[in-house]
Amino acid sequence: MADSAARQAPSRRSRNGTRLRAFAAELGEDVPGLIGFLVLVGIVAMAIFAPLLAPHDPAAQSVLARLAPPAWLPRGNPAHLLGTDALGRDVLSRIIWGARATLLVGVAVVLLSGTFGVIVGLVAGYVGGRTDSILMRLVDIQVSFPGILLILLIVSIVGPSLTTIVVVLALTNWMIYARIVRGTVMSVRAAPYVEAAEIVGCGPARIILRHILPNLVSPLLTVAILEFTNVVLAEAAISFLGLGVQPPATSWGLDVASGRDYVYVAWWLVTFPGLAIAITVLSINLFANWVRVTTDPREREKRFGWSKTARRLAGRS
Amino acid sequence: MTTTIRHLLAGAAALTLLAGAAGAQSITIAIGSEPSTLDPQLRDDGGERQVNDNIYETLMARTPEGELEPGLATEARQIDETTWEFDLREGVTFHNGEPFDADAVVASVERIIDPANNSEQMAYFGTIDGAEKVDDLTVRITTTGPDPILPSRMYWMKMVPPGHATDGDIGAEPVGTGPYRFGDWSRGESITLERNPDYWGEEPEVETATYRFVGEAGTRLSGLMAGEFDIITNLLPEFTQTAPKFAAVDGLETSVFVLGTDNEVVSNPKVREALNLAIDREAMVQALFQGYASIAQGHHVNPAAFGFNADLESYPYDPERARALIEEAGATGATIDVVGESGRWLKDREQIEAVAGYWAETGLVPNVQIQEFSQYLDSLMGDGPRPDSIFIANSNELLDADREASFIYHMDGAAASNSDAEMATMIDEARVTTDPEARQDLYDQVFAKGHDLNYTVPLFNLQDIYGMSERMEWQPRTDAKLLIKEMGVTE
Amino acid sequence: MAAFLLRRLIQGGLVVLGVTFTVFVVTRIFGNPVDLMLPLSASPEQRAAFASELGLDRPLPVQFVQFAGELLRFDFGESTWQRRPAMEVVLERLPNSLLLIGAGLGLAIVLSLPAGILAAQRPGGILDRIVTGLSLVGLSMPQFWVGLLLIVLFAVTIPLLPTSGMGSPAHLVLPAVTLALVPFARLTLLVRSQMMEELNKPYIRTALARGLPHRRVLVGHALRNALIPFLTLAGWELVLALAGYTVVVETVFAWPGMGLVAIQALQRGDLFLVQAIVYVVAVLIVLVNILLDLVFKLVDPRIGLG
Repeated sequence: MADSAARQAPSRRSRNGTRLRAFAAELGEDVPGLIGFLVLVGIVAMAIFAPLLAPHDPAAQSVLARLAPPAWLPRGNPAHLLGTDALGRDVLSRIIWGARATLLVGVAVVLLSGTFGVIVGLVAGYVGGRTDSILMRLVDIQVSFPGILLILLIVSIVGPSLTTIVVVLALTNWMIYARIVRGTVMSVRAAPYVEAAEIVGCGPARIILRHILPNLVSPLLTVAILEFTNVVLAEAAISFLGLGVQPPATSWGLDVASGRDYVYVAWWLVTFPGLAIAITVLSINLFANWVRVTTDPREREKRFGWSKTARRLAGRS
Repeated sequence: MTTTIRHLLAGAAALTLLAGAAGAQSITIAIGSEPSTLDPQLRDDGGERQVNDNIYETLMARTPEGELEPGLATEARQIDETTWEFDLREGVTFHNGEPFDADAVVASVERIIDPANNSEQMAYFGTIDGAEKVDDLTVRITTTGPDPILPSRMYWMKMVPPGHATDGDIGAEPVGTGPYRFGDWSRGESITLERNPDYWGEEPEVETATYRFVGEAGTRLSGLMAGEFDIITNLLPEFTQTAPKFAAVDGLETSVFVLGTDNEVVSNPKVREALNLAIDREAMVQALFQGYASIAQGHHVNPAAFGFNADLESYPYDPERARALIEEAGATGATIDVVGESGRWLKDREQIEAVAGYWAETGLVPNVQIQEFSQYLDSLMGDGPRPDSIFIANSNELLDADREASFIYHMDGAAASNSDAEMATMIDEARVTTDPEARQDLYDQVFAKGHDLNYTVPLFNLQDIYGMSERMEWQPRTDAKLLIKEMGVTE
Repeated sequence: MAAFLLRRLIQGGLVVLGVTFTVFVVTRIFGNPVDLMLPLSASPEQRAAFASELGLDRPLPVQFVQFAGELLRFDFGESTWQRRPAMEVVLERLPNSLLLIGAGLGLAIVLSLPAGILAAQRPGGILDRIVTGLSLVGLSMPQFWVGLLLIVLFAVTIPLLPTSGMGSPAHLVLPAVTLALVPFARLTLLVRSQMMEELNKPYIRTALARGLPHRRVLVGHALRNALIPFLTLAGWELVLALAGYTVVVETVFAWPGMGLVAIQALQRGDLFLVQAIVYVVAVLIVLVNILLDLVFKLVDPRIGLG
C-alpha cells in the first residue's frame, strides 16, 4: 500500500504541474479574468503583509492633522498619501489594514457556512429518504426567511462585534451550499461507475472521498467565490447601519460609513475605502466568471462553440 | 396599487401647493427623527419637542439667551416652601376654542403626573405634588418638598386643552395655544404647521412651516445644499464653510471627565491637578470644533444655568507643571483608565482620544476604553467600581446647576466618583434653599471646592450649529428650541 | 391544483412558524425584553410589572405558545416608541416600501431584457463588453455608496432631483435607481447567458441554416425559452427586496418605508414593532412565493404542480 502510494506520488505531482501550466495558459486567454486574478492576489498580499506595507499605525490619531486631503492636492501632506480622516488617522494605512478585516470576515463566513452547508448536503444526498426530505424542507424554509431583517434583529440584541457578524452571516448563508451539494451527490450516486463501486463493496467514506468530493469542487468553488462577494458587501451594509464592526476595529465598510458625514468636505474618506470594496468585489466577480466557465465542461463548450455561431451570425446580418 | 397611485397624485398636488405657497413665507426644516407621537406630555423625545414647541406653550418661557421670563403666566411667586402661585395671561384660547384658564393648568399638571400615563417627562416633574385653582386666572402648584427651581420646571411643561386631551386624539392632532396650529401629519414624510391668526402675542413672520425627517446627517446636508431645506440641525463644525449659511449658539451640553477620586492613582490631588493642566483646550477647540465651542470655566456647569460660578477661570495649559506634578506624586508610568463611548455626542470619541494623548505626555499611561453604550452607562451610573476617568457630555435642559451638582459632584449622585460628605451636605442644602442669593452662594462654594480639588476635568461648553439656506434670518437659541415665530425669510 | 396549494400553504405555515420561533429564541433567550424596552431608569417594580405583563415569569414553552398565538392573530401589541398599535405602523409603511420595490424592480426588469438581448447578439462585441462590464461594476459597488454618489451628483451638483424623502414621482427616481442596480446587473447577465445558450442550440442553428430572418429567430424561439429562468430570478429578487434589502436605500434617502422604520425601532429597543415587521414580511414572502409558483405554471405548462 505504502509502496504503491510512493510510486504514484511523482506522477501525480507532474499531473498537477501540467494542470497549473494549463491553468495559467487558459487564464491568459481571458484578459478580464487575468486582471481580476492579479488584483485579487495583490489584495490578499496586502492583507497578509499589512504590518510591513502600511506607512502608519492605522489607529494612530493626530487631532491636529485631521482631514488632510490626499498628498497631490493643495494642503496635502506627503506623509499621508491618501489623506487623513476625522481623527487624523492615515487613510492609506487604514485601507491596507482594513483589507485584513474585510477578507477575514469573508473567508470566515464562507468557510463556516460552506462547511455546514456541505455537511447538510452530503447527509441529505447520501442518506436520502426521510432524512433528505426533512433537511431539504428545512433549507426551503430558511430560504424564505426575511434574512436581512433577522440579521439586524439578532445583531442589535446580541450586540455588534466581529464575531457576531461572522456567525450571523454564516447562519443565514449556508443553504445554497446544501442545495448544490445534495444535487451533485444525487446525480453522481446515480452514475453507473459509482453504482458499480458500491456493488463491489466500497464503503460510504470511500465513495464520498473518491467519487463525490471531486465532483463537488467546481460548483462549490464557483458558489463560494460569489458568496464571498455577497458577504463583503453585506458586512459593509451592516457597518453602514451602525451594527457592524465596531471601532477601534476597522473594516472598509466601517470606514465608508464613518466618513459619510464628511462627504462634502473630505470626499477621500468615502471614496477610497468605497473603491477598495468595489475593486475587490469586481476582481472577484471577473475571476469567478472565468473559474465558472473554465471548470464547467458545458460552459467551456459554450465558450468555444460560441465563437463559431457568432461568426456565422455576424456573417449573415 | 390604487393607494399607491392616489399617494403619488396627492404628493404631486402637495408639491404644486408648496410651489404656490413659496411666495407666501413658508419654510422647510429638516430634523433628525420623526416625532414618535405629537402628545406633548408623554415622551422625552427631541423630534416631538422640535414640532410641539411651536404649537404648545408653557407657563414660563426663556429669552434666546436662556433668561427665564413669563410665558402663559404673567407672574410667578412663592407662597410658602412648597407652594408656588401663578397669575395667568388673560384672553388666551386654544386652537380649538377651549379657553386657557386655571382649569386647563390644573388638568395639564394632573395629566402629566398621573401614574397611569407613565410619562417619560416625570424626570423633570418628580417634585410636583399637584395643582389647585384659586380663581379663573390664578393657580397654585404644590411640591412634595421645597423646590426652588419649580419655575424652571414649568418652562418644560406644555399646557394642553382639557377637553381635547380627554376626548380628542391628542397624539395625532395637537391643539395648543402657541403661534402655530397643527396642519397635517403625513406619517414618515412631513408635518406641516400653519400660522395661528388668533395668537395672543406678536404675529410671526413665517406663514407655514414644514418639517421633514432625515436621519442621515449627510442626506440632511445634501438637502440643504440642494435648496430643499431652510434649516437643518446638528451641522458639523467642518461644514460651516460648505453650508450656504449657518448660525452657532452656545448649547446646553458641557463635556467633562469625571475622575474616580477614590481610586489608587487618581486619589492623589497632584495627579488630578496634572490631568487638568496637561490639556491644551485651546488647540482642541480649534482643531476639533473649528472654534465652535468655548472652554469650560473651571467647572462643568453651563454658563447660562443658574448657579454658574462666574469667578472661576479655566485651567491653564501647563504641560511642564503637569509632568512635574506626576513625578512628585510618584505616578510616572502608572496606568489610568479612560472610559468613554462613541457616536452619542458631538465629537465624543475625538475628545476622548485627544485628551488621552495629552495625558500620555505627562508620564501616565492612559488606557482608553471605548465602550458600547449600555456598557458605558453601566460604567457611568452602575454600582460597580468607578473608572479612573469617564467622559460625559452633560446636558442641562432646566438650566439650573442642581443637575450638574447632584449628578456629578454629590457623593450619592448617579455619576459621582467621590466621597466628599461636606460637599454633599452643601448640595443638599442648595437644593431646598429657595432664596436665590443664598442658593447662588452655596453653589459658588460647591463649584469652587470642586475646582480646587480637581474632582472633574471640565472640557468645553459645546455650541449648537444650524445650517441655513441663503434666505433664512434666524438667531438660534441657547435652549436649542426651534421657535418658528423667531424666524424670518428675506425675499 | 388544490393539493399543490395546500402543500405550499403548509410549507408557508412552517416558514412562519420557523420565523416566529427564531424571533422568540433571539428576543427571549439571547436578549431580555425588559432590559431592551424599558429605560435604564425604570424601577425594579416597573421591571417586574412589565415582565409579568409579557408573561416572562412563566415557563418558556408556555411563553412560546402565548407568543405564537398572539402573532397568529396579528396581535403585535403597542409600539413602545410610537405608542400606537404596531400593526398600524406596519400597514402605514408597507405601501411605501412596496412602491419603492415596485419601481426599482420594474426598472431592473424593463432595462435588463433589452440590455441582455443586445449583448447576446454579438458575444465579445463592443456592446456586449459594455453591458457585461457595467453589470459587473453594478454588482460590485456597495449600495449605500451608490446612493450617496447619486445624491451628490444628481441632487446637489446638478440639482435635478430631490435629495430625500417621499412625496412626488421625482422623489422616487434616485432611490429606485439605487435599488434597481444590483437586480438589473444580475438579470442582465442572466438574459445574456440564457440567450447565448439558446442561440447556440442546434434548433436555432438549423433555423439559421434554413435562412429564417435573424430577428424572428431571436424573439420567437430563444426569448421564450429564456423567460422561465428570467422570471425565476426576478421572483427571487422580489423576495430578496422584501426580506430587507431596501433597508439601506431607505436609510440613505430617508424613504419612509418598513426598512427605515425597522432600523429606527431597533435603535429605540421597540421589540413589538420589530416583531410585527419581521412577521408581516415573512407572511408576505410566503404569499409571494406561492404566487410566483402559480405564475410559472401559467407561463410554462410543462412545470408540474406536484
